Amino acid sequence: MQLPRWALALADENGCSGSTNAALATMTSLPNLDERALVAEAQAGNRAAFEELVRRFDRDVLRLALNLMKRPEDARDVYQEAFLKVYRNLHRFRFECSFYTWLYRIVTNVCLDHLRRRQARPEDQAPELNAGHHEEGITDFFERQREHRPTLDPERSMMGLEIKARIARAMERLSPRERVVFEMKHYQGLKLRAIGDALGTTEETVKNSLFRATRKLRNELGGLR
Amino acid sequence: MSPFEKKLNCKDVAPLLVFYVCEEVGESERELIATHLANCHACSEQLAEEKEFHSALSCAPQSSDQFDASGILLSQFRSELAEALDDLSAPPLQEHWRPFGWLHRWMALRPVWSGALLVLVGVLAGTQLVPWLRQNSSNTGQAMNVRAPQPLTQDQLSNMVVSGVNISPSPGSDSPTIQLQVSAEQPMVLTGNVDDSRMRQVLTYMVQNSERFDAGMRLDCLDALKAAVRDQQVRGALLNAARKDQNPAVRMKALEALRDAAGDDDVRQALLDTLEHDTNPGVRVEAVNLLVGSLDGEALGASTAPEAPEAPEAPVVASTAAPRAPGDEFEHVVKVLQELQRRDPSRYVRLRSAAALRQIGPREVQ
Repeated sequence: MQLPRWALALADENGCSGSTNAALATMTSLPNLDERALVAEAQAGNRAAFEELVRRFDRDVLRLALNLMKRPEDARDVYQEAFLKVYRNLHRFRFECSFYTWLYRIVTNVCLDHLRRRQARPEDQAPELNAGHHEEGITDFFERQREHRPTLDPERSMMGLEIKARIARAMERLSPRERVVFEMKHYQGLKLRAIGDALGTTEETVKNSLFRATRKLRNELGGLR
Repeated sequence: MSPFEKKLNCKDVAPLLVFYVCEEVGESERELIATHLANCHACSEQLAEEKEFHSALSCAPQSSDQFDASGILLSQFRSELAEALDDLSAPPLQEHWRPFGWLHRWMALRPVWSGALLVLVGVLAGTQLVPWLRQNSSNTGQAMNVRAPQPLTQDQLSNMVVSGVNISPSPGSDSPTIQLQVSAEQPMVLTGNVDDSRMRQVLTYMVQNSERFDAGMRLDCLDALKAAVRDQQVRGALLNAARKDQNPAVRMKALEALRDAAGDDDVRQALLDTLEHDTNPGVRVEAVNLLVGSLDGEALGASTAPEAPEAPEAPVVASTAAPRAPGDEFEHVVKVLQELQRRDPSRYVRLRSAAALRQIGPREVQ
């Protein structure tokens, strides 16, 4: 395709315009940047750097949101609200902790807010997820996203869903903070110190929350097998 | 065994097993727990249960696996986040301050109401604003209200064109309100009463310049000036009009305006001049009436019955009235009236003169 005359006039002797060159260089180098440099770029207003940060961490964020909220619609709200908060407040990040910790602090706070709001509205509880009627109340879009792998053993799949539904019901008995701590410990694999950082509390407090959560779940679930 | 190890019993170990399973105990603590578990069957069983529970929880399918094992949900959320970021990053629309920006937004959102509002504004502007501007603008050639500021110069007076004189009674005042629509250097409306010097100036100028202003306007002016007959300038104009105005109705009106001052020498002299020189019998009769009135104080009664030569018998009243004029002046009046009675071409004037002589006769006798 022939370039317009004004574009040719702006192009350097190699045939590329300077800004395009710089943009290409930035695009190619962003994934190679370490976390600190990437955050600094994003703080300088580089939108591509921020999107790279999102891509690095959003899988864990979505996983946490889905496991805590149990509903894709709520998880979407948490995902978007959390990253928009990060975007708006990125200039306040002073590298006093890792970006990951700072991000998780925001995400867990958003999750806690949503869980507390949900707890205040009994009619807004998460649907029970069991094999019999777990599809009710889920929109078509999210329904299409479900995993239907034919290679899975149907019997095992049914048992897994049954256990999951029991766990979900038991989790509803926990306080929002206990749920977040349990989720971050068991399913995210975070250390108690990191959870404390994310929640803005001490490791000892997190330890107590985890202990209470485990006891409640054991009482509710008994023997899972 | 160290003294510390001896203190760690089952009651101490039980709550630590949860953290022991998920590897959240310190190194020294871990060794102590392990030592205790090696010697305590009950705690080992509890640890096994804890591990089994932990394993069961970890193996249970999670919501994230169920909903987004293929990653499509994540892609969808990324896309939505990018759109939200686009909205955040977009430059704000016209953030600069704009006057009436709120009105623009309001009108954009309510086109029907905006149309109605514009029509209403147009109607109001056409019916209210335009006439108001016409009335108040000094550059559009329209008249403006001036309340007696500076006297007009001779140039202004000589170039003045009067398009209307309106006289209306003013409540609470003897002097009527006069409105003159005048075009001098600029159009103006003079509003006031005869007490205003500027108003008097214009009115007397009009009376004195009969060739420039029509008789109707001069009559109106005389009507207005009647209330200021004691003013020297007005008196002069009235006397001049009574003697020289080309229109008899104006001369008669001027005499009428002088009624309240008919006893004054200058007015009486003007009345005598009128009797001797005025060509109009009606004017002469009016002069006779005023003369008689000035002599016996019954001017009002005489003027209301000019058509009755056989005047009612007024000597009784006249006899009580003190003579206002000196003797020679009185003689001059009688002589003029006698002359009229004998020689005036108008029979009506002759009859009125005879009646006047009879009216003032008893005083002559006295």
